[in-house]
Amino acid sequence: MMNVTRSLTGLGLLAVTCISLMSGCAGSSMLSDPRHMTFKPVEFTPPEPDRVVFENGMVVYLLEDHELPLISMTATMRAGSWLDPADKIGLASLTGSVMRTGGGGGLSAEKVDEELEQFAGDLSVSIGRQSGSASLDVLSKDLKRGLQIFVGLIRTPAFEPARVELAKLQSIEGIRRRHDNPGSIVGREFGKLLYGEDHPSARDSTIQSITRITRDDMVAFHRKTIHPNGIILGVTGDFDKSEMLALLRDVFGDWKKGEAPVLKIADVPQSQPPKPIVRFVNKETSQTHLRLGHLSIKQQDPDYVSLAIANDILGGSSFRSRLFNDVRTKRGLAYSVGSRLNTGVHDQGIWLMRAETKLPSTQEVIARFVANMERMRTELVTDSELAEAKEAYVNSFVFSFSSPSAIVGRLIELEYDGLPKDFLQQVRARVVALSKEEILAAAKKHFNPERLTIVAVGSGEALPKLLSGFGDVKEIKLAPES
Amino acid sequence: MKNDTSLVSCDADRARSRRRNTDGQRSGWRLRVQSFALPTLHGSGVTAFLLATALILSLSLNLNLAQAASGLADRVVEQKLANGLTVLMVERHQTPVVSLNMTFRVGGVNEQVGQTGLAHLYEHMAFKGTRTVGTKDYEKERPILEEWFRVGTELEQRQRELARKSQEKSASSEDRAAIERLQKRFTELQDQAGQFVAGNEMALLYQRHGGVGLNAATGKDLTRYMINLPANRLPLWAALEADRMAHPVLREFYKERGVVMEERRLRNDDSPNGLLYETFTSAAFRAHQYGIPTIGWESDILSLTPADTEAFFKAYYGPGNATIAIVGDINPKEVMTLIERTFGTIPASPSQPPLVTVEPPQRGERRVEVEFDAEPSLVIGFHKPGLGHPDDYVFDVIDAVLSDGLTSRLYTSLVREKRIAVSVGSDANYPGVRSPNLFILNATPRAPHTTAEVEAAMYAEIERLKTEPVSPKELEKVLNNLDADLVRALRSNGGLASQLALFQTVAGDWRYALKSRDKIAAVTVADIQRVATEYFTKSNRTVATLVKKAGDKHIVTAPKGEVTR
Repeated sequence: MMNVTRSLTGLGLLAVTCISLMSGCAGSSMLSDPRHMTFKPVEFTPPEPDRVVFENGMVVYLLEDHELPLISMTATMRAGSWLDPADKIGLASLTGSVMRTGGGGGLSAEKVDEELEQFAGDLSVSIGRQSGSASLDVLSKDLKRGLQIFVGLIRTPAFEPARVELAKLQSIEGIRRRHDNPGSIVGREFGKLLYGEDHPSARDSTIQSITRITRDDMVAFHRKTIHPNGIILGVTGDFDKSEMLALLRDVFGDWKKGEAPVLKIADVPQSQPPKPIVRFVNKETSQTHLRLGHLSIKQQDPDYVSLAIANDILGGSSFRSRLFNDVRTKRGLAYSVGSRLNTGVHDQGIWLMRAETKLPSTQEVIARFVANMERMRTELVTDSELAEAKEAYVNSFVFSFSSPSAIVGRLIELEYDGLPKDFLQQVRARVVALSKEEILAAAKKHFNPERLTIVAVGSGEALPKLLSGFGDVKEIKLAPES
Repeated sequence: MKNDTSLVSCDADRARSRRRNTDGQRSGWRLRVQSFALPTLHGSGVTAFLLATALILSLSLNLNLAQAASGLADRVVEQKLANGLTVLMVERHQTPVVSLNMTFRVGGVNEQVGQTGLAHLYEHMAFKGTRTVGTKDYEKERPILEEWFRVGTELEQRQRELARKSQEKSASSEDRAAIERLQKRFTELQDQAGQFVAGNEMALLYQRHGGVGLNAATGKDLTRYMINLPANRLPLWAALEADRMAHPVLREFYKERGVVMEERRLRNDDSPNGLLYETFTSAAFRAHQYGIPTIGWESDILSLTPADTEAFFKAYYGPGNATIAIVGDINPKEVMTLIERTFGTIPASPSQPPLVTVEPPQRGERRVEVEFDAEPSLVIGFHKPGLGHPDDYVFDVIDAVLSDGLTSRLYTSLVREKRIAVSVGSDANYPGVRSPNLFILNATPRAPHTTAEVEAAMYAEIERLKTEPVSPKELEKVLNNLDADLVRALRSNGGLASQLALFQTVAGDWRYALKSRDKIAAVTVADIQRVATEYFTKSNRTVATLVKKAGDKHIVTAPKGEVTR
């Protein structure tokens, strides 16, 4: 959930202690060469939300914002598909979906939809892999009714049988359509190879698993997992704090504490000795859709910040990155190209490089990926690359506080993940102090050519030969989803 | 929970995710923009829908809403420079940041046959720098670029000739030798020119100064360039943007054309929806440029030359063709001083050549199929008038009644009751707004139900519009949602800037949303019946279906005209 750009909200001064990479004065530079302009760091003290804990354990963040007559709230819920039973993958997600569509709080499904849409209230509920989320967005005049409906769907969803059936049918059709787009195939297969196809971070529902899920399963899943002490609620917008708190106590205060699920996901053991894995999926396409990478660290890892900056320089920062400049700008071989460090605190992260390129340039792109990865592992980044990465991070820091909902949302994510509320500030301090040597050490340790998994989706006739130089090539045969 | 770790990007202006129906699309006034210059790493090639709702509210709203939004309307400061550049500003001091949107009145509609994709290619080239930015020494670079472009143009002409002659079996060894010589020279010049390139320097400067969301997009009617910056970096923006409006340099031309080809493959050729919409749109428009894919046809992209691109820039990128919208922590007076001193020195440009082609009336249903290795889907379009026509507002209401939300007619009937589709949608302004356009309907069938069943069910709902009056409650819902959308649209600096610039560009007036809101409010039940009867006819429609490809596969090869350089 987190990334380094999340905010340090509530800790006051933002950029005052900014490193002086671009210090100076703006006024005199008006008409000068944009390459040599300097500016003072932006100073900003973001507003600080209130944090209140109800007796039943529910945590509430509040931040008033009266610019527009709107109120918005999001309940982050400790529930997710890590809880799915092995034979009923998809249960958490379906439960979230029918909490929204199946009626509740004494109102029929039809009545809920009708009322909300008549007054233009937006309400959504979803349960993902590691968290659930319910949000409401209404004009402030509609707060009371909107909140009533919201609470009804969270606390006492009705799971109307017709809506349960509809959600299952829709989910099944979605599964049938999984192989339509090469991009979704390559992403899914890559994840499965890295974590293993039964791991909570990669496993997927099937038509069989969805068919097995009953209304009773959803009712039980909701009863077992959704508790006030597993919820962090964030409220922003046009309200008075104490009135809002009173309202929230009214609707949530009598909800009894329960046993909130524990979010624990097993690590994937590393194969010994590590060896490269090369796979392709045959699909009639004009491009080869490519992913290369391996499992990576968690956010609590001491190397996190140095690895994040290494990835930023390698391929994480679009225009500024090496992969973008090499594969796209200089060679013209791909439109969307770069690397990502996908990290969380609960499971191992993924580090990957990606591109789509026409079939004849497949080998060249993979070779460039490998070469750039090697270069990160063997050479220090340049002084200007490091300086640019630091400046970009520090100078764009203010955008982590761009709105009250962004501020509150980040604090909630941090608390959900058990990270300190000054996490982002700590990251920033680390970024500012980072040395080239630390980046090299992190790259050397955490970008591992011998562990690379390569997945390519494209022409089944040509790919095996094009990929053969990078390891032992095997085909993934997609079973038809029916 | 887990997210991408991207040290510079953030969700500053990410649209709040809203789910009104299973498509995740929203109805309302919407503008389809085909291509972004720059990828996000999350991009899956999905066409972006830019919400184009409005800015201000009017009398029939309750007091609370009206005050909030009209208060903001009063805050729009409008200025026009002597050279024709329009500037729109809104002060918002909550956070020391600013969103900038520069929109040009140029897009796919301004392209000629044989040069499709030119507007979008120029948008890519606009990131290559100027005579100062992006170069290590422009005076030395310039003659090399000039020769390189001459050689490249001649090389490609000869290659096309050779391809033709080879088909006729009349290619000679001299032809081949000449091409080889040109190819060698081309590569030498490309390498020499490369020595002077300061790669992506403009973007790098924005990023170093904390810029986020640097991007651009080309649509049928307009092309826009966006960036968000810490508020005190405005002088950097003005210097960079005025420079690129005045003195762009087309560096790395041929490589970037290759990037655009990859973008085309990603968005249109390898995407079932991309190819379906491309085919549908070109079937619906026989004459008008709306039928041309904004990204261009493959053969056209590969024939675009630096000279074409330069000429396109000169014709369409003058200050009189541009609107700049700035929303954030600014002082409009100081901003205008800055803009006068930078953009103000750019000479006025000649006015645009007028668009002359008018789509002739459709005289009979058109049906097209696209075969793809994907599950079936369907899109239907009816020709209708564009922006400003009185009937246009009626279509906005029909759009909302049919597909806005879980209680909309199409969702209720096709998805919830009949269960023959998993998603439905409609759009009253496809694929642009400046010219007469299409009202479109789309659906994803649920197996084993077919596109034919879904199509019939959609026509039944269309017939209902003709024969049964829409209920007052439905109309009230449409208006309530429109009004709420107007308020929500004010939430983000970037969203607001983009909308001000949008309406100024396509309607000539940023207040268009205010005016259209009242016209939409005035739409009657009888209007809906009349418009449905007049436009939703068999002979006025185009139907495109995506058909699952069966059996043998053809082998995809790289296009002949494209050699790796």
